[in-house]
Amino acid sequence: MITTRILEDLKNSIVELDEKKAVKAARELISQGMDPLQGIEKGLSMGMVIIGDKFNRMECYLPELIRASNTFNAAIKILEPEIIKQGKQRTRRGVVVLGTVKGDIHRIGKDILAMLMKTRGFEVYNLGEDVAMSTFVNKAVEYNADIIGMSSLLTTTMPAQKDVIDLLKEKGLRDRHIVMVGGGPVSAEWAREISADAYAETAEEAVQMAVEMVSGEKVAGSSS
Amino acid sequence: MIGFLEVIDRAMAGRHCSETEFDMEVVVPKIQEVVAKYMIKYDPDNPVPADDDLADRVFQAGLELYRDVGTYCPDTERIIRFSEEELREALAEAPSAPVFGEGKDAKTLVARKPESNALPWCFIGAGGAAVSNEELYASIMEAYASFLPLADSITAPTIASVNGRTVRAGSPLEVMAAIRATVLAREALQRGGRPGLPIMNCIASAGSDTAKIAGSQFGLRPSDGWLIGATAELKLEFQRFNEIAFVTALGGHVNAETAPILGGYCGGPEGVAVTNVAYHLSCIIAMRGSSQLTFPIHFKYGCTTTRDVTWAVSVSSQAISRNSHFPFFILSYTAAGPMTEMCLYEIASAITASVASGASIEFGGVAKATRVDHFTPMEPRLASEVAHAAVRMTRKEANEIVKKLLQRYEGNFDSPPVGKKYEECWDIHRKTPNEDYVNLYKRVKTELSELGIQF
Repeated sequence: MITTRILEDLKNSIVELDEKKAVKAARELISQGMDPLQGIEKGLSMGMVIIGDKFNRMECYLPELIRASNTFNAAIKILEPEIIKQGKQRTRRGVVVLGTVKGDIHRIGKDILAMLMKTRGFEVYNLGEDVAMSTFVNKAVEYNADIIGMSSLLTTTMPAQKDVIDLLKEKGLRDRHIVMVGGGPVSAEWAREISADAYAETAEEAVQMAVEMVSGEKVAGSSS
Repeated sequence: MIGFLEVIDRAMAGRHCSETEFDMEVVVPKIQEVVAKYMIKYDPDNPVPADDDLADRVFQAGLELYRDVGTYCPDTERIIRFSEEELREALAEAPSAPVFGEGKDAKTLVARKPESNALPWCFIGAGGAAVSNEELYASIMEAYASFLPLADSITAPTIASVNGRTVRAGSPLEVMAAIRATVLAREALQRGGRPGLPIMNCIASAGSDTAKIAGSQFGLRPSDGWLIGATAELKLEFQRFNEIAFVTALGGHVNAETAPILGGYCGGPEGVAVTNVAYHLSCIIAMRGSSQLTFPIHFKYGCTTTRDVTWAVSVSSQAISRNSHFPFFILSYTAAGPMTEMCLYEIASAITASVASGASIEFGGVAKATRVDHFTPMEPRLASEVAHAAVRMTRKEANEIVKKLLQRYEGNFDSPPVGKKYEECWDIHRKTPNEDYVNLYKRVKTELSELGIQF
């Protein structure tokens, strides 16, 4: 059946990191009059889940996560105008802003987390490295983020995570966002000390925790 | 070899490229290309391969990778490139016998070969892990001098607080911590009876160029080692070039630090191995090093003792040591913490693989070097003893030992034991381990002897 084949092509385009295939399948989906949201949920997103699982088993690596994300975006560019035209809206698991805190330029771990979050359906805004506390807060407000994620790879940059939480409190915004912290020297004890909502030791755990927290399965304030 | 100013000129005038483009369009495809071209294939059944041809192919792949990729300067968004002729000239003219230390602790660092008779240099201590306050910092540094007879140089901890205040990156507290670390380290090594021991990770407490240079004015010597780290993968910020400019003018030693990440842009173990070789060249020509300190690390587990990282370490160490006279250290990070069986097995495995493959050692990061106060002098002591015991060991012998050790701990990476804090397994006044830790250490050493590590 053609519908099944197109959805399969969308899924496989992600797994095979094939942008051309993704674009072709997305165009075909529209020309067949199929629901573009179905293409995302039952095609592209399924592929993203497979890639995320492969990364967690170390069967693929960061470059493949990035290419999968680029492939996903290429298909979305085709599908999005059709979704708008039909007056529909993409469902997202949640919105995340994340970055490495002020004074810290470590990048790769945070980038991997951003990509894994995308594989699980989050809309992710990667703020980069050496991110000022006001940038975390302002971007969280601008994007109406469910989650603020902060990475710190140095003991001397961990206090910057607390700075962001303190600023959220000062601005009366603390209850609007789930705050997750992570990075090599960060611990569950530290998360509790600074009143973060969650800590995860690995990117895989962080994604799982984020899924549970935005769906209300996990209570903020717990940690792995 | 081309001069440092020429390197800076190229940082200013090299090809412009965004950081994302460098990562995904320059580095990643070239790594994948050379891994395929030189037929480099990870073999999980042999974490310490004994294949000279594979080692030499990894070296050629790393050379081609660095020739075509170069080093990225994020401040100028430009790529610093070197021709193959320049790289070969740098290899030929690279330092081969830097002298570190003072007085009777002064010693020449020489490059080793796989299965070498030459003793590995034991650069041991904390591996830059954080200690909570100045008192513990002084205590553990003194213990390194008195409890580590095989130490050729010391790797100091990072001080997490000064005068009860948490150190923050880029703040005056970081400058104060760097100064305090230098003063206390020199005094502690003197109190421990080895005032001439070089500190070779100067200055762990300094993250910024400002703090590193300021701290050095309070007791560092040109015969110490300035640890200056590249950013993964193949990037050097101006702050690092500032430090290199300072150390070069001082006549000091740059200990050029690199850490290719398994799971990141390098990809898997094959990519990590060739990137480690590329870094070796970068340490000579771009970073102006007297030595390379490298620690290929596992993204997911945050340690260096997994099977795939062990293979990458072994193969790249063989590649480098067979083809370069520029000395290098392999730094090991364990997943488990102090006073645990797993930690001691991990140490024995990592050090055996490194030494048999031609490396000198830095040890190290205990409990991933991420938990405050979770390290003692006992772990580097075992590391140095294993390092000396692994001299003359063939790679085949090492391979069999490492395989048996891996079987004992690799099932525990998802939740490794954190172990005890320094004060919980160490007498901080007498500078000796507690009885439980001594008993564990003796038992594990007996097991290691039975496996073939002859102390």
